[in-house]
Amino acid sequence: MSEQKVVKSKWLLDMVSDKPIEDGAVIFQDGKIKLSGHYEKIKGKIHPDAKVYDYKDKIIIPGMVDCHTHHNGFGDGRSGDDVGLIPDDVLTIQSARNAKTSLYSGVTTIRENGPKNMTMMRLRDAVNSGLAIAPRMVLCGRPISIIGGHMGYFGGEVTGEDESLALARQLIKEGVDYFKITATGGSTATSFPLRPSFSKSELFAVTNEAKNYDMLTATHCLSAEGTDYSLDAGVDMIIHCNFDHANGESIFDPKLADKIIEKGAYVNPTIHVGRARLWSLMEGNDPALGGFENKRMGSVSINKDRKNILDARLDMAKLGLETKLDHCRKMIDMGVKVITGSDSSWGDYPLGNTVHETELLVEAGYSNLEGLKSVTINAAKALGLDHEVGSLESGKSADIAILDKNPLDDIKNLNSVSEVFFMGNCINRGSEESNNSYIQKSPKV
Amino acid sequence: MDNKESNMLVIQVGELIDGISNDTKKNISIIINGNSIVDIKPTGELAIPTGLDYKLIDYSDKTILPGLIDSHVHLTGIGDGRSGDQLAQLPDEVLSINMANNAKKHLHSGVTTVRDCGAKNDTAFHLRTAAQMGIIESPRLVLSGRPLAIIGGHLSYFGEQITGTNECRAAVRYLIKQGADFIKVTASGGSTNTSFPLKPSFSQEELNVIVEEAHKFGKHVAAHCHNSESMVRSLKAGVDTIIHGVFKESDGTNKYREDVVELMLKNNTFVNPTLAPGMMRVKIMENKKNEGNFSESNQEEMDKVLFEHEYRMECFNKMYEAGISMSAGSDSAWGAYEMGNFFLDIEGHVAGGQSPMEAIKSATSVASQSCWIDDSIGSIEIGKLADMIVLDESPVNQIENLRTISEVIKDGEFVDRNNLL
Repeated sequence: MSEQKVVKSKWLLDMVSDKPIEDGAVIFQDGKIKLSGHYEKIKGKIHPDAKVYDYKDKIIIPGMVDCHTHHNGFGDGRSGDDVGLIPDDVLTIQSARNAKTSLYSGVTTIRENGPKNMTMMRLRDAVNSGLAIAPRMVLCGRPISIIGGHMGYFGGEVTGEDESLALARQLIKEGVDYFKITATGGSTATSFPLRPSFSKSELFAVTNEAKNYDMLTATHCLSAEGTDYSLDAGVDMIIHCNFDHANGESIFDPKLADKIIEKGAYVNPTIHVGRARLWSLMEGNDPALGGFENKRMGSVSINKDRKNILDARLDMAKLGLETKLDHCRKMIDMGVKVITGSDSSWGDYPLGNTVHETELLVEAGYSNLEGLKSVTINAAKALGLDHEVGSLESGKSADIAILDKNPLDDIKNLNSVSEVFFMGNCINRGSEESNNSYIQKSPKV
Repeated sequence: MDNKESNMLVIQVGELIDGISNDTKKNISIIINGNSIVDIKPTGELAIPTGLDYKLIDYSDKTILPGLIDSHVHLTGIGDGRSGDQLAQLPDEVLSINMANNAKKHLHSGVTTVRDCGAKNDTAFHLRTAAQMGIIESPRLVLSGRPLAIIGGHLSYFGEQITGTNECRAAVRYLIKQGADFIKVTASGGSTNTSFPLKPSFSQEELNVIVEEAHKFGKHVAAHCHNSESMVRSLKAGVDTIIHGVFKESDGTNKYREDVVELMLKNNTFVNPTLAPGMMRVKIMENKKNEGNFSESNQEEMDKVLFEHEYRMECFNKMYEAGISMSAGSDSAWGAYEMGNFFLDIEGHVAGGQSPMEAIKSATSVASQSCWIDDSIGSIEIGKLADMIVLDESPVNQIENLRTISEVIKDGEFVDRNNLL
């Protein structure tokens, strides 16, 4: 048995009770939580030789859970198509760096939504060999895509039920934890964001195999029709969940939202990735056009100068963000299970800033507490990991973040991480300067 | 000049070791603009034109010397004692992560340039890409990519097994196309299971072609030599650095060969003696002995290790006395030699008879010459790139003080040695 450790502080937000616990503490040993609660109540259980971390007036929360990451990415505005061109060795190095960023920022569990080939599986190998550190990783291997479909460049293009099933089995052989399917096109240049990609029968081939092994599935859906197909196929999480139609209109569909509720699927709306694009454009950057923008910008970019093109892109990004917020607000109102999944480092959204997404869920109607739950216990539930992570209760992994400021006062205070414990180990996060280097700030207007 | 655009740094140091002179200079100011050293003056004589914006750093109680150049690393190694054969079984992506870790570790320890003497497949080139993209912190990289080996030869598991002059020529061209800065060839066997350390590997003709082709494109050649015959062949072919340089006959007898040293002197060939691994082997045996439970066979092993190490040190001393240029190069993280400990190798040079100043030169100016990069780095001189390290204690009389590193400057910028990203 390893040394017993205790963290104590003024406030404990254990995500078991909805009320903050004053003068709280968590006792843990061998990477697992033994007991948590009011210090006076549990102090009798503390071993006399235990190492006590007293954070005085800080706030103890569970390590955060981000349901949607791209550790291959850069968050510097480059397109996925460009990321796909980078050699696997380089992307693996980048993933190792990003994994540290995630962990240092207080995110102790991630679900990876689209890396190239074997890169993230190799990062896991490196972690298991003691050559890298990373949060707990829920991996899909690579996304399952149609030929030319979204993220097809990451190496998982299949056609028909048999090939879909074969890839699912191949991924299981490689050791993946869940299946990510791109059920519609996306930013990928050769894909069609407003159309479903796989047929229902192809989706079923994967979801049936997933059920056989008690694995979860998640589909990327921009087109509302793709969401509909996915729900029929029994997909567990709808990602993006845009209500886009083939004619280019984005109109909220309460019937479809009802169907999501009825099927019990989680929704990961990914709002900040659009705001990050807006911020980037506001700063005068000229980030790579995704397929989605390409298709809408096609007519605009002819015979227009650069300024007009940028203005048009700005307008589009603003409209896109408003629409996303509006649709998310409606889903939250109706009771859809909306959770935090950042989508970083996709597009302009660098990893280490998961909280930006949670902040927008609060803007879309969540209370600060609900926002905090969406990035802890409810995210853990969405990943089927709530027996292990997401709250500070006995038996769960000792994944803990210490905050300087209370997120129940302002959800942005989730950014004030000053210490991270992962599986009971206090993580050496290095210099403050290096930890400030990945923080994404909104542009000064 | 616009103050905001000024990127000028003035460093006042108590002691300057410039990497070339045998003497130190006291109370010197070094002026850095951008990534270059633009002036060096006694601190009292420094006159900066008024109105110029600059940052002044006071190291009056410290010693500054050129950033260290490790002329022999294997960034791909783990340094946990595993063999190269085992190492090569790891997937390229895992090795890439390890290389990135090692690059950072070495940089943080004061090594601002490394010559990588062999990695698997394309991993070394991909590491460079990652460094260029700004994903990783890395020393300057002088790369060989894959070492050239015969079938089954030393390091052949890294992916470049070739036979005959035509394949040799093609391999050199292909590596240069991929971005190799020099060619590493294993001219004898080594620790690789299927290789023969006491026998030369490539033929004279093959070595001739390799060197001819590399030199044609302005690239140098470094040859791994674990026996005397491989050194003779390499030197006849015109190789630029002999690595290890072990004087052994093909029957395993130890024999220091004046004729080989003559050839080295004639060709101005550098020798990278890789002394630290032997010293570490001795240390490990000593520790084992001190712990007790030291069997007779342990003692026999220790005697053998000691005998070979003392012979290597004796040969080092003779070569050095004969006037051979000794280039420090750790060979880490090969075998059990972890990255970030280059100072052990430099200490080995002192143990072998060099003065601390000579040993420092072997890890700065001499190393830069052996890597063909002395036009831009390896010394603190006007016009050179600003790669420097700052020590709390002077290493002039105590080489172990290389361990008292307090700052690393690369390209005129301070390295955040506590950046763990």
